Amino acid sequence: MRLLLRVLAPLLGLLLAVVGLAVVVETVTLWVSPTSSPLIVPWPTWLAAAEGLTWQSGSVRAAAVVVGIVGLFVLILGLVARRHDVFLADPVPEVTVTTSPRSIARAVGHEVRAHDEVVSASVVASAKKVTVKAATLDPAEEVRATLRDLVETTLARLPLARRPRVAVSVTTTKGVK
Amino acid sequence: MSRRSRAAVARSAGGDRTLTTVLGLVLVAASVLALLVGFGVFGSFRAQRPVIDPLIVEWASAHATAARWIAIGIGVVLFLIGLWWTLRSLRPEPRPDVSLSELPGERLTVEHAAICDAVRHDAELIDGVSRARARLVGTPQKPALRLSLTLVEGTDVRDVWADLDGRVLARAREAFAVSALPTAVRLELDATSAPTPARVQ
Repeated sequence: MRLLLRVLAPLLGLLLAVVGLAVVVETVTLWVSPTSSPLIVPWPTWLAAAEGLTWQSGSVRAAAVVVGIVGLFVLILGLVARRHDVFLADPVPEVTVTTSPRSIARAVGHEVRAHDEVVSASVVASAKKVTVKAATLDPAEEVRATLRDLVETTLARLPLARRPRVAVSVTTTKGVK
Repeated sequence: MSRRSRAAVARSAGGDRTLTTVLGLVLVAASVLALLVGFGVFGSFRAQRPVIDPLIVEWASAHATAARWIAIGIGVVLFLIGLWWTLRSLRPEPRPDVSLSELPGERLTVEHAAICDAVRHDAELIDGVSRARARLVGTPQKPALRLSLTLVEGTDVRDVWADLDGRVLARAREAFAVSALPTAVRLELDATSAPTPARVQ
């Protein structure tokens, strides 16, 4: 979403500038030499088309809905394009240390997958929560407790500013050990 | 965590986000208002009025000069906001040179590239760091350091911190003759490790 914002923000700015410029140019043209109006934007045609429409007309409602959907998209884009950094405790004042959720997931994933009883695992991490899903050939409940301890110790080794909650789910798969 | 080191973590997208959000709000508000008028929330008579309202048309033709000035004003404001927004979000993040002395005759600045090469080289010498990148952000008078370190698997982050503060940042502070240099460090953990151990069952 941040990349999309990075691309769309200048384009939206450009769009605003173009609309503003068009309004100025057309108004000045109409004022200075009414014979050559409209210069670029065919606004008299648009005016004629909107002539008979009331607020109840279907096309007015349709246009409003389209504008609303575009506006909602732009609004949501602005709201969700935040950073997802995970903050670590500051070693010294004046220094801020961050890492990515992906890094946390990778570190936890290595530990979990290196465990003997785990057949496969997936890890999703954010600053607030680490979710581990693992598959094993052994009874799930025992492995779950071991894995939870393992993840907790791994996270404890990282000096995170706030310790994320840990959610571990283990399923037993069929197979030969 | 100081405000300046916190600001150095990444380029801020705050301006873009604010403007995008405001634009979205305006569009949504316009749409909702038009729909509400159309569904007769503000009176069924108003819902039946033309979109190009005769009252407004009448006023505009009666006060042609004022109407034109208003249109030009709106256009200029939109144009300036749009242009400022575009230039602002296309401008690259500055890489400031650091000025060590502003005294006439003794002006001394250090180039951005020179500082960053030195810091990066120092950082890559730390045990457990496989790759380092460094750049300065902020202004020449108030620079801040942004450092991203890639750590090999199994490195203890606390050891890296000790080395970082004791060697790399201490030298940078010494070079700039400042007591504190706001720094944002971004760690990539376990990125260049050996593949997950093979499992033979």
